[in-house]
Amino acid sequence: MAKVKQQKDRTFLQDLLDFQGSLNGKSELLDEIRLKGAEGVKNTHFPRPKDEDWRFISLRDLYSDSFVLASDLEVEAPDLSDHYLPESEGARLVFINGAYSEQHSATDALSEDIVIGNIAQLAAEDNALLKEHLNQYADFEDDVFTSFNSAFLKDGAFIYIPKGKKVEAPVHLLFVQTDADRNYFSTSRSVIVADEGSEVTIVEDHIGLGNNKYFNLPVIELNLEQEAFVKHTKMQRESREAIHIARTGAYVAKHSNYESYTITRGAKLSRNEPRISQRDEEVQFTVDGLVLIDGDQVSDTHSVMDHRFPVADSHQLHKCVINDKAHSVFNGKIFVRRDAQKIDSFQENRNLLLSRKGLVNTKPQLEIFADDVVCTHGATVGQLEPDEVFYLKSRGLDEQQARELLVYAFALETIENITVDSVQKLLVDEVHKFTEKQLDSEIAV
Amino acid sequence: MLEIKDLHVCVEEDGTEILKGVNLNVNAGEVHAIMGPNGSGKSTLSKVVAGHEAYEVTKGDILFEGESILELEPDERAHLGIFMAFQYPVEVPGVTNKNLLRQAYNTIARKRDWEELDPLQFEDYAMEKLELVDMNPEFLERSVNAGFSGGEKKRNEIFQMAVLNPKLSFLDETDSGLDIDALKTVAGGINQISNEGNAVVLVTHYQRILDYVQPDKVHVMINGQIAKTGDKDLAVKLEDQGYDWLTNEVASVSVNGEQQ
Repeated sequence: MAKVKQQKDRTFLQDLLDFQGSLNGKSELLDEIRLKGAEGVKNTHFPRPKDEDWRFISLRDLYSDSFVLASDLEVEAPDLSDHYLPESEGARLVFINGAYSEQHSATDALSEDIVIGNIAQLAAEDNALLKEHLNQYADFEDDVFTSFNSAFLKDGAFIYIPKGKKVEAPVHLLFVQTDADRNYFSTSRSVIVADEGSEVTIVEDHIGLGNNKYFNLPVIELNLEQEAFVKHTKMQRESREAIHIARTGAYVAKHSNYESYTITRGAKLSRNEPRISQRDEEVQFTVDGLVLIDGDQVSDTHSVMDHRFPVADSHQLHKCVINDKAHSVFNGKIFVRRDAQKIDSFQENRNLLLSRKGLVNTKPQLEIFADDVVCTHGATVGQLEPDEVFYLKSRGLDEQQARELLVYAFALETIENITVDSVQKLLVDEVHKFTEKQLDSEIAV
Repeated sequence: MLEIKDLHVCVEEDGTEILKGVNLNVNAGEVHAIMGPNGSGKSTLSKVVAGHEAYEVTKGDILFEGESILELEPDERAHLGIFMAFQYPVEVPGVTNKNLLRQAYNTIARKRDWEELDPLQFEDYAMEKLELVDMNPEFLERSVNAGFSGGEKKRNEIFQMAVLNPKLSFLDETDSGLDIDALKTVAGGINQISNEGNAVVLVTHYQRILDYVQPDKVHVMINGQIAKTGDKDLAVKLEDQGYDWLTNEVASVSVNGEQQ
């Protein structure tokens, strides 16, 4: 049994290294990445409270407990049919506590020229495409969590969409965390490659089945070749005791379009780090987010939009609804490198505080080294306006309907572009449930 | 229909008294105008009738169809058939006019024993009402007041009034900020909506809307009281002479300790 524990860096690393070796020996490709990952962990340190990028949140919940590896748990196969998306029948990969579940997965609706499967399996088969693309796009420099994820690399989704292929069914990547009597550590690495002119919709879905504590560390890498179009919706509904630390790295080539929507509803502590990097001229990308948190939840988004070449149209609308003592952090970096002219970048973080004790830290950040660019950024923190509530009540809606409608209206903008009907409906329901729940607790107007 | 008796109202937050003994009777089939200078309490009166929580009634009563409504929430008042057109209509991005109004209509329909309308029926019904205020059908699909011009917002209020078919409507400065064409449209809408069974109270600064909507009674509100009640001619006199002559009258009335 391996324990993941932080005691002045030392134990955490030692335990990791002790365990890391036991995964090796099945695939040279994976062994190499794991070794590099383990070295990466050694060469840096886990975040300390004084680290600039971590100063608004505390990782005490991660450091103060020990975690067993998910593979040490005995897990009975859960019935997950309630969580399947009707649009994704036969286009689904399921991972339970980070481990691929063949019995829950089904990819028969996808045509044979699409490569889709579990990374460990494809690595064992020496898949050339996997070898070409694995661990290429999550280049989070000196990031201990990405290295940590690499050090434990085994299972995860690999999807390759060939040239010109337009995939109709959204591909559902369902990551389920089970209830357990021990805290556990779960990780996965996924890679999505959209070759020239291809189109695909990915629904990355993280669900906690219980109310237990675990640490989930998913990393997803995306590569969009020329004229590829990828829509990526990430839904995070982990257990309310969970820690969810995630990395999303996307590279976008000429005339490609990456649209991502990240919805955060679960976990006690969540940290998302989307990083979109331009690999050529003339690209479009969207990195929208919706955060709905209450109780003692903490949600932190550190994003990077890296404009490295001329002409890009980038968009980031990050909306947060915060109730009770919940805490939202947003740090959005926009880089425009030298010679990356004609960049049109929009960034806005809007926060709706429903309680007096909620907390918001927001920091839009522009670093621009080119001169012919249009970058707008802004952040707002507000409450439900009593006059808005009154307006709707004067039209006959009761307090609950009025508040629901206003929160819904606030949230809608970030989810209305999600084209998978069942996902959109699910999210609308989540917004309603969230709002209804808020009415049971004390509300400050 | 509406009886306001010796109504005293203060701002809940700081206790400032705004209405100092308002008496007003409005019967079905009537159109009333309430005029007065800035800060006289006209808008407050509208909001208090609609149930705004920022105000506290310290004395007096508001009866609607014989029953006190003071304890009722704004939505419960709407269910009875009370409507207020806002001076500054609120923008609700993300919620279409159609969705808000259908939800509002059906909520009121349940209380007033009308038939509820499904989306298609409601669309037909709403289309008819749009014509009253000369609005394009696309208004139904647009977010409530979001990005509307001032004139569009005011027309949208009258459109909402037409859809919700209230018994009593308080229109709070619905005429302000309108150019003459928009004013005529809004006035035309009000005229078509008002009938023997409902009542309209126009709260306004200016006499000009009364050129298009004939009031049965004109009230002048000064310093939190109805200082004078008359007919259309009173409005004309106010337009010519301003409010000063009335301000003096109120002062003397107050000295005698009488209301109205």
